Formats: sequence, structure tokens, C-alpha cells
Amino acid sequence: MKQQLRNFVFQELIFVADPNSFSDDEDLINAGLDSMGIMRLIMFIESQFGVTLPDVEIDPDNIGSFNALERWIVSHQA
Amino acid sequence: MKHTSPLIEQALNPADYFTLAIDEALRLENMPGNLCGFGLELDKQPDVSELCTRILEFMQQFPEVTASLQQQGRRFFWRQRPEPQQLFYQHHCSSIESETFFFQTTISQIINHHAPRESLAPIEFHLLTGPNRHALLLRWHHPLCDARGAELILKYLCTESLEQRALFDQPNTPSLVQAQLAKYSWWRKLRFFWQAYRYIRRLDHYRSIQHRQSLDAPKRLHALTFRLTETQTQQVAEHSRRLTGLTGTSLYYIGCLMRALHKLEPDAPGEAYLAPYAFNLRKQKALTPLLGNHLGTLFAQAPKALLDNREQLFAHLKEQYAQTLKQQLDQAFFPTMWAASFLPLVKHIKELRASYKDGSERSSFWFSDIGQLDSVERNFFGADITGVFHTCQVTSPPGLGLLMCKYRGQLTLNYNFVEPLFNETWIKQLHERMSHELLGQ
Repeated sequence: MKQQLRNFVFQELIFVADPNSFSDDEDLINAGLDSMGIMRLIMFIESQFGVTLPDVEIDPDNIGSFNALERWIVSHQA
Repeated sequence: MKHTSPLIEQALNPADYFTLAIDEALRLENMPGNLCGFGLELDKQPDVSELCTRILEFMQQFPEVTASLQQQGRRFFWRQRPEPQQLFYQHHCSSIESETFFFQTTISQIINHHAPRESLAPIEFHLLTGPNRHALLLRWHHPLCDARGAELILKYLCTESLEQRALFDQPNTPSLVQAQLAKYSWWRKLRFFWQAYRYIRRLDHYRSIQHRQSLDAPKRLHALTFRLTETQTQQVAEHSRRLTGLTGTSLYYIGCLMRALHKLEPDAPGEAYLAPYAFNLRKQKALTPLLGNHLGTLFAQAPKALLDNREQLFAHLKEQYAQTLKQQLDQAFFPTMWAASFLPLVKHIKELRASYKDGSERSSFWFSDIGQLDSVERNFFGADITGVFHTCQVTSPPGLGLLMCKYRGQLTLNYNFVEPLFNETWIKQLHERMSHELLGQ
């Protein structure tokens, strides 16, 4: 799951010179993930992983890093 | 500074045609065409010699910036011009008393400069210096690049390391709009085309609110810039976060402007505010492509009945935005953009601007959120960048455009308006209401 998220983010949303050195805990918002990027990321997650992510939970705690995103998605898969 | 370009032959991409059609619309209104400006306010005069050297290097690396825009049949191309092109100009004022007037009039002259499309310089750098004020204004002809491209050009100039500057050197990067179109099958393009057509018909169900109609008197673009403090900017971010969430910062600004306009002139004719706004196809923080336009279009629309209730308005705009993305309407416009690029410019303008309902203007105002300008370095050839400002020519109607960005933690609002349809007093009144809206007062 994390690799799919990383592929989508680095191929479609933000540019980092060396994606491999970007850790799963690094801050995605600081790396350039903007409001439109967040929306596109949520659309991708919902279609790719078959979850519905509630609007009220869209915050930096859930979107701030790849690890946070994974935890958020998994919590809605059950 | 003069430079002879190597051979250039560069076709426009579909998003460039969109900006070219706007250029034609402006010229038909006796305005100068689709000229935009990106200004840097500096604390002192930069090192002019270093700046000239860097601009010369930039021209050599991206020769299209010295080209001439020429028509062949219905298609347009950037082509090598026969004469060398001057790109760098200096304007100086030595009197403290007339400095403010000098800056206002010089910037106004630069952004209102009339020239035939073929001879107009695609890009120019103007350095304005006075006893207390200094500014660099990058003026570009919109088909050449978009605002993010202009920001990247400034970032290129500011980048000290030659190795880092080489990362920008990808002049052959394909158009991102074309790349997007290439992903779709012929049938999918056709479906998108009809999807976009039906979407616009739905938007046109409401007659757009217009605060001014065009007039025959000579018109001129004027711009006023306001900045919120860092504390105010943080307050705006908190309100935006509460009302439109992490995903809707631009929508918060658009909704605030709708409400500010409505409060200032509640009886303006029309049924709903409609604001077209662009989204950028580049990845965030990407250094390329510099040239060309790589944009898609979105629309925010709110009927009058929703404007009195902030919570309701923002919930509506956010839901509209979510539905647009869910239905892929953002992508639906790429095939339309491609098809429209084959239309004569005058027909293209009509498709862009005229409502299907009654032929009236579709846009209530123009809006662009240029975002966080952290890619522009603070140091510009030895001078500190203390602020930024943006300008863009606007068609009439609507005659009004708001360009927003954040620099050094301060939200900057650039009101671009066509005089005499609007004037400074009216814009100041609008900004007062806009500030209250942004700050939730």
C-alpha cells in the first residue's frame, strides 16, 4: 500500500529530487502537497483501496506522512 | 542587452491557445493584449551586471523567450525574429518627491504597453530604481508561459549554482496538457467533450452577476496590492481550515470575494457569481517545464441566495469542487481545450466567455491563487526581496481580477481592474470588505 501511495505522490503530485531518500515519516505538506494535491490523493486512495475517508478526518495528522496515510486508510478498511 | 537567437520553431499547445484567445479578446477591446507581470520589491538595487549576465544565460538556454509569435493559417508558432531582441530595461528616478508617482506610472506603462502581437517581446525584465524604492518587474505575454512558469524563471535567475540551474534546462519537456490528452482513447476524449459541454450548460443555467458592463471609452488596466500581516494571514488560514478544510484554500478566498462583492453592491445584476480558476498540471516544486501553459480549468459558482450564510456558502463551494473532481470534470476540459485551439480566435473567445443561455459574459471576476511562493529565493542579486506583486490584463466585462499569493508568511492580494469601469476608491472599499471576510469578522 505504501509503495502505491509513494508512486502516486511522486509521479503525479510533488517533485522531489530523490524519492528513495524521502522517508515514510517525512512531512508531505512541507514537501509541497497542496490543497488540490490532497484532494487528488484522497480520490486516488478511495478508488484504489475501496475506502471512504470522512471529510472531518482530513487533517495533517492523517495526511502528514506516508505512515500517517497508511494508518488512516487501514483504520477505515476494517 | 541584445542577443541573436538560434533557429526557433515552437508550436503552441492547447492551453497556450486558451491564453492566446484571451489576448485576442483584449486586443479587440483596444487593450494591450494578454500581458502579465510578476514583480519583486527589493530593499536595495541588485547587482545589475550579474543580473544582465544571468538574463543573457537564460536567453541562451531558453531561446523561445526571444521569439516572435506568428500566425500560419489558424495555427500559431513561436518563430525566430529577424532582429535581435532587447529583454532588460532600467528605469530610474532620482527625486524622492516624485518616487511614488514614478513607480506607479512606470509599472502602469509597462503593463499597458501596446504592440502588435508579432513584434511584442514574449518576456521583458524591467528594473525600477529610486532613492528609496527598488523593484524588478517581469512582464510576459501570456501564451509564452503561465504564472508558475514566471515564478520558475525568477527562481532560475536567483539560483546561484550553475549545477542547480542546469536542472531547469529541459526545453524539450512536452506540454503537460498534451501528455494528459495522450492518456485518453478517442472515445474517452469524445465522452469528456460532451461531459464538459453539459457541465457548462448547467453553469449557464444561472446568469452570472456582473458588477460592470463594458464601455466604449478608453480603458486601462490598473492594479492595487494589499498585504495582510503574518498574524492576520495565520487567522485567515485558521478560518479557511475550519470552513473549507485542507483541500479548499482557494475556494475560501473565492467565497470571501463573492461575499465582499455582494456586500458592496448587493443589487448587481445577475443570479449567481461564477469564477473560473486554473489548476496547474506541474508537480508541486517541479523545476520544469518553464515555458508554455500547463493548466486546466475549474469553476466555482454560487447563487445569490447562498451568499448571506458563510457556512452554507463554503459548504456549497466545497461540495461543488468535490463533485467536479469525482466526476472528472477537471479533466473533461482538456479535449475541449484541444478542439477549441482549432477554432478562429474570435470564435474561441465566444466559446470561452459567452453564456449559452443569453450570450452574456460568463465570468463574474477572474481569480488566481498563485499559492506559496517559497520557490522564489529571498536574495535577488544582493538585494533582499521584501514583497511580491502580480498583474494581469482582464477583459471587460468582468473588468476585475484578483490574484493571490503568500510570500514570507503574508497573504498578498493583487486587485487588477479596468479603469474607468472600476476605480481605486471602489477597490479600497472592496478590499476592506474582503479583509473582514477573510478574517471572519
